[in-house]
Amino acid sequence: MIEVKNLVKRYGSFAAVDDLSFTVEDGEILGFLGPNGAGKSTTMNMITGYISATEGDVIIDGHNMFDEPEEAKKCIGYLPEIPPVYPDMRVREYLNFVAELRKVPRKERAAEIDRVMELARVTHMQKKLIKHLSKGYRQRVGVAQVLLGNPKVIIMDEPTVGLDPMQISWMREFIKSLGKKHTVILSSHILFEVNAVCDRVLIINHGKKVVLDTPEKVIHTIGGTDGLYLAVKGDEAKVSEILSAVPEIATIRPERAPEEGVYAASIFPKEGADIRERLFRDFAAKDMPILEMRSETKTLEEVFIALTGEEESC
Amino acid sequence: MLAVYKKELRQAFTSIFGYVFLAFLLALVGFYVYTLNLKGGYASIAYAISSVTAFFLLLVPMLTMRILSEERKQKTDQLVFTSPVSITRIILGKYLALVTVFFFAIAIISVYPLILNKYGNVNMKSAYANIAAFFFLGCAYLAIGMFISALTESQIVAAIVTFIIILFTLLANALKNMIPTDYSVAFLVMLVLSVVLGVIAFVMMKNVPVAAGISVVCIAAVLITYFGVSKEMYDGLLTKILGWFSLVSRFENFTYGLFDAAAYVYYLSISFLFVFLTIQAIKKRRWS
Repeated sequence: MIEVKNLVKRYGSFAAVDDLSFTVEDGEILGFLGPNGAGKSTTMNMITGYISATEGDVIIDGHNMFDEPEEAKKCIGYLPEIPPVYPDMRVREYLNFVAELRKVPRKERAAEIDRVMELARVTHMQKKLIKHLSKGYRQRVGVAQVLLGNPKVIIMDEPTVGLDPMQISWMREFIKSLGKKHTVILSSHILFEVNAVCDRVLIINHGKKVVLDTPEKVIHTIGGTDGLYLAVKGDEAKVSEILSAVPEIATIRPERAPEEGVYAASIFPKEGADIRERLFRDFAAKDMPILEMRSETKTLEEVFIALTGEEESC
Repeated sequence: MLAVYKKELRQAFTSIFGYVFLAFLLALVGFYVYTLNLKGGYASIAYAISSVTAFFLLLVPMLTMRILSEERKQKTDQLVFTSPVSITRIILGKYLALVTVFFFAIAIISVYPLILNKYGNVNMKSAYANIAAFFFLGCAYLAIGMFISALTESQIVAAIVTFIIILFTLLANALKNMIPTDYSVAFLVMLVLSVVLGVIAFVMMKNVPVAAGISVVCIAAVLITYFGVSKEMYDGLLTKILGWFSLVSRFENFTYGLFDAAAYVYYLSISFLFVFLTIQAIKKRRWS
């Protein structure tokens, strides 16, 4: 289990991480989302003990990272954004070094290295120099390294960046399979990925927690009520007149007309209101046929942008 | 610690630098032993050894430049410093690996007095005291080199700065005899140093009150001792301070065949100090 309590990291007067608290249960996969510069990597570096925190605590499996770092670090496998491999080492030699560093007992070392190479599918590359490997294989060597010693907690910083589509899908399946035996935190800015893999999602922005919940709940409750896409035959003035008479409507966002003489809009009703029947009757009364009406469920993408993306459009 | 030690030792010899270091060092010692001792018929190895000390300038950066800077550049430090090994042990492992590579050369050099003994009488005690001093001097330089490597991400910068620092320690002795020794100059230099210290503190901590405080305290101390205690304290002060940095001048006694335990202590202290500073530099980086 990972407990993060009131974590703060300040650089001068700038707070990269600002009072962040959350817990990750055993066997859970937590997706860590945020725009670039939101403090994802900084937080992960603090959880793994690479950098220290200005304030707050990180507790890994009952060990406080800042009071007993060696005990806490024993429980963690960490894959940073750039796989921490030595270009002039061979794959097996590198894994042997990491196994020693992680204090895997000498007798188990060879078997353990074979095991992780099998899982990360780098067995056939074990005699190659790491500098001769492609980015994808380096990432796999990084993954193999994470698994050495079977750590309880696995932390991965953007594990799919720079991989090709095949490798990405392999990596996702792989991370899913990890969730059964390990507690996993993975950061990403690809929302689809997080949605597909994670049990819960933590969105941060400017170093602060924005939301922490299951992907479904994040989409539904945080994203607000679903919108309604409506396409009506008739001109804008008339449609607007009818719509403005409906008190449950909160906002109307005009959409591009699908064809000539049709007005289309996305309508967002007030919390919990169901206006579909009323719209049907109102338009029918004025003899204006509704050509299309469907609920629009927000994607995590939109929620994410709504929650975090006020200034960054690039 | 052992894992890091073994890795560094292996890396020294998978890259070219370990071999170049050993080959260059042994070639130099071999050259001087051949010309001075074998050709020149001189029994003591001391002059050959002391001639080589100046070449630490080139030798040390070769070995130390990548030791920490490269980890940081390749981001492998994220692996090393998140492993369940303390920073102190990691640094010690690295330092011992450097010392071990250097010790290979020392082991070979240690054979030379035995060879020379075949041809005449060699004062074994003095020869081995000399080789030991050479070893400890090298260890001190290696610690300095490692410290500089901890401060930068660039091997090249680490190499150049190490080169300059070692050059300074070599020239400090000569410089000592050129600078004025009267107290007024020393007084002014100390005032300037107080300000410089404050500037360095500011660059490192980005904290104006602390940096200014350090400067003010130093300036006050200089003023009080100069005007309050005695001006004579400042006589030859600069020479003395420069003398502290002169690593090779400690070596001279050995060259004359004298045994100087204080020099051993001095070299060991320098090694200890810079290993300690390296650990602090790495720890500090976690905080900023």
